[in-house]
Amino acid sequence: AAEPAKAKDAPKDLILKGDAKCTGCHDEADDTKPTMLDLKPSVLAIGKTKHGTRADGRTPTCTDCHGESEKHVNHKGSDKPPKADRTFDKKSKTPVEARNDACLNCHQGGKHMNWQSSTHANRDVACTSCHTVHNAHDKVRDKKTQTEVCYTCHKEQRSQMNRPSHHPVPEGKMQCTSCHDVHNDNPKALIKSSTNDTCYTCHMEKRGPFVHSHQPVTEDCGICHQPHGTTAPSLLKSRAPFLCQSCHDPLSHHGSAVGQPMPGNTSKFQTVGRACVNCHISIHGSNSTENNGQVQSLRR
Amino acid sequence: EDDEIAALIEPDSSVSIGVGNWSGDRAQQGMYDGMRDGKAYGLIDAEVNKRDNDTGTWLKLKTNNLGLDNREIKGEYLRQGNVGISAEYNRITRDDPKTISTRLQGVGTTTQVENGLASFTNLTLGTVREQTNLSFYKNLQPGLDFNLNFKNEDKKGDRLHSRGNAFQFVAEPINANTRQLETSLSYATKQFQLSGGYNGSWYDTKNGMLTVNPGAPVYLTQGLDNQAHQLFLNGGYNFSKTTRGTFKLERAVATQNDFLATSAVPGLALAGTPDRLNGKVVTTLVQFGLSARPIKDLSLNANLRYHDVDDKTPIATYSAGGDAPDYMAYSYRTITGKLEGTYRLDQNYSLTAGLEDKRQDRSVPLLKNGNEKNVVVPLRRQLDELTARLELRRSLSETLNGSVSYLNARRTGGDDKRGKAGADGAFLLDLYNTINPLNTADRTRDKLRIAFDWAPTEALSLQFTAEESRDKYENSAASPYGLNKGTGRLYSIDASYVVSEKMKLNAWYSYDQNGSKQVAYRSNGSGGNQPANKYYDLEDTGNSFGLGLRAEATSRLNLGADLELFHSVSKYGQRIAPLNGAAPVAEANFVTGVPDIRSDRLRLSMFSTYALDKQSDVRLDVIHERWKTNDWTWTFANGSSLADPGGTRYLSDPKQISNFIGARYIYKFQ
Repeated sequence: AAEPAKAKDAPKDLILKGDAKCTGCHDEADDTKPTMLDLKPSVLAIGKTKHGTRADGRTPTCTDCHGESEKHVNHKGSDKPPKADRTFDKKSKTPVEARNDACLNCHQGGKHMNWQSSTHANRDVACTSCHTVHNAHDKVRDKKTQTEVCYTCHKEQRSQMNRPSHHPVPEGKMQCTSCHDVHNDNPKALIKSSTNDTCYTCHMEKRGPFVHSHQPVTEDCGICHQPHGTTAPSLLKSRAPFLCQSCHDPLSHHGSAVGQPMPGNTSKFQTVGRACVNCHISIHGSNSTENNGQVQSLRR
Repeated sequence: EDDEIAALIEPDSSVSIGVGNWSGDRAQQGMYDGMRDGKAYGLIDAEVNKRDNDTGTWLKLKTNNLGLDNREIKGEYLRQGNVGISAEYNRITRDDPKTISTRLQGVGTTTQVENGLASFTNLTLGTVREQTNLSFYKNLQPGLDFNLNFKNEDKKGDRLHSRGNAFQFVAEPINANTRQLETSLSYATKQFQLSGGYNGSWYDTKNGMLTVNPGAPVYLTQGLDNQAHQLFLNGGYNFSKTTRGTFKLERAVATQNDFLATSAVPGLALAGTPDRLNGKVVTTLVQFGLSARPIKDLSLNANLRYHDVDDKTPIATYSAGGDAPDYMAYSYRTITGKLEGTYRLDQNYSLTAGLEDKRQDRSVPLLKNGNEKNVVVPLRRQLDELTARLELRRSLSETLNGSVSYLNARRTGGDDKRGKAGADGAFLLDLYNTINPLNTADRTRDKLRIAFDWAPTEALSLQFTAEESRDKYENSAASPYGLNKGTGRLYSIDASYVVSEKMKLNAWYSYDQNGSKQVAYRSNGSGGNQPANKYYDLEDTGNSFGLGLRAEATSRLNLGADLELFHSVSKYGQRIAPLNGAAPVAEANFVTGVPDIRSDRLRLSMFSTYALDKQSDVRLDVIHERWKTNDWTWTFANGSSLADPGGTRYLSDPKQISNFIGARYIYKFQ
């Protein structure tokens, strides 16, 4: 009669296959439960996520990520038990590579193929530095909250995004990963193998080729533009004519001094409005076949 | 008990419906958020996540801003680990902050008439990107996945433009379609991973040419239909537990063979000019990577990358005379080698050293007859950039972690293609070769970065970042013009303090400054008839401050507040030094030099959420927002609104204050 009673008392799995080893203690009574402040992560909240979807045969169990943790599991007494073999919190003593190995065991393929040669991997960034696994709302995977995570390290970009000319990132219509693939090893961690190919995903009208081209446009959009935000209009690193005069000769009006016209002046708009682009309207390239010198200088 | 557990482990859903009102127009701050005008808006959001635990099947629906013009909605079916499909609709709006008072007729069409309207009308220009995204995923067998993503975007609207060769307002009509298809087949085992596929992208515009009247019509062209097709293969192999090799192969062909509309305008084009460019650019990427830990405390990362952008567009003549009558092809072949090693000094400290060498071969444009084209900006056939990096890092400490890193990059070039001959009278004898273009000039960059996190107590954590970078452009006496120096500076501090288990504060402040010194020349004919050197001293400074509070006031009431302040100053120093030693001559009806631009933004937002019961909350949002600038971009020197010679006036509001109040009902369920 004692045997069935013992079986009844044995802890059963709550979420994952074999998780009773852990959820015997980390149960609903112990769980901190998700709150607005989220000061202590809820262990059981993993059940709300894809990692907690047991019907998917690939889903790991607690010890797949945290290790068998025998000392932790077998601890007796009322004092604090030793930590699990592999921990992922901010104060974890587990080496970053060991933490990442837990993720790469399943996530090495596809978009994470080149993780080991990425900048993040080589700066000791752990997967869990950005991702929260035990949370249905992984901030870094949400367009509206992703910047909170990225700005943890990238302070300069946080400041730049505050400037008047910016991509709609603060408004939640774009996110850092619209342009950046931090799991890959492309230059500047971009989603494509070059700056221009990345920009063309949204600005394909600039791809050309154009009948009359502008050399730096064909080379790298980043020569003239600072995509994270600027005071100068159109995300320009420096406003025209300063920017243009850093390459172009002073012949004719090109070297004009910077200044503002008074009302009634109908010719000296080299600094105001769109400055040089007031006239050189096709600055990214012209497709005009007009037999006219103006076309060659991108004024058509 | 089961309900309690279910609440902790089952996916959550919520629907929120409400209304909010902005008290005034927000031309600057509302540029992208779909709430530009001072009026009431519907606030509708939903996130529904349902999962069948027996089959691992998810049904998801997510909407954002459903009551606004920039609404988005996404639906997804996923049988986890087996098959998934999702569809998404998303609108991105951009409203130009300026109001344009004009008599231009035909805005929104491809034929526009300057001063064609009898009276002035006020316009606000803007664009809408309407995106539809379809994704499909299928696990074909263990480790083998097929992914497909198709994105369609229609972009419509009007953008600020001008007549061409003259500052006279026209509105560029935008009506274009972009499609992007990404497909991949990925196979992964613990030891070996391979992913290959096809990416295609197509751009189609309905407005290839804009005709501006009256008088002799002006024909303005736009970016034309183009497409690109790419095949790729990416692989990785774990030689051992500590050694991994990867490779990437990509080949893309981008073409532009749309009809050149100006070629059909009688008398406009040179006889025999092709009516299509037949543009073709082939991009090839070959890359090998190796990461290894040969001994316990040393990890290495090596990478060799070949990236070739080859412009194969046929060279034809498109106009007579001038410097650029023929198509100009620019090709770039870049080979980058990188080696980086990290040595663990002890449990907490590690030292990283890295070296990267980037060598680029750059073509110079050829004429149809095979000769090199004259250039007005000197070009370089070769660029080399050698970057060295050193970083000391402290990690795995419970109280203090951080890094100190130093970077030195030196860019040089050679085999220069000099600009054509040209002199400015007796003053400048080699007109086109006295400038060092910013993208190819010899440059030395030094950058120092210090960043650390400090958690002095359990409740308090602090984060400090300081960066300083300096660029030095190595101009010579023979070519003194162009950028001379660049500086970048960032100081930032973040603090987070857990007051109690029910309250948390965070604050941050960042100071950033970027500057450049540049020398330019003003020739005889550049205005003032006074050849001169101009010394520019440009500086852009930003001060950002944020303060946040989150409090769980009672078991039912959550409160939050955020204050954001931003102040920026842009300085545009200009010193004109006439070569004849005389004082600069004032130009008629023109004020030389421009004032600093100062911009200020304040946003104070507060919210409270009150739980009516386990399944429903009400939320109240209050926002106060201020924006102020003295930006002179669209003003005359006397501060009045800029008007172009055609009479169009550009109006911008330098001060905007608006308040928002919104209330929502939130229904939560599982």
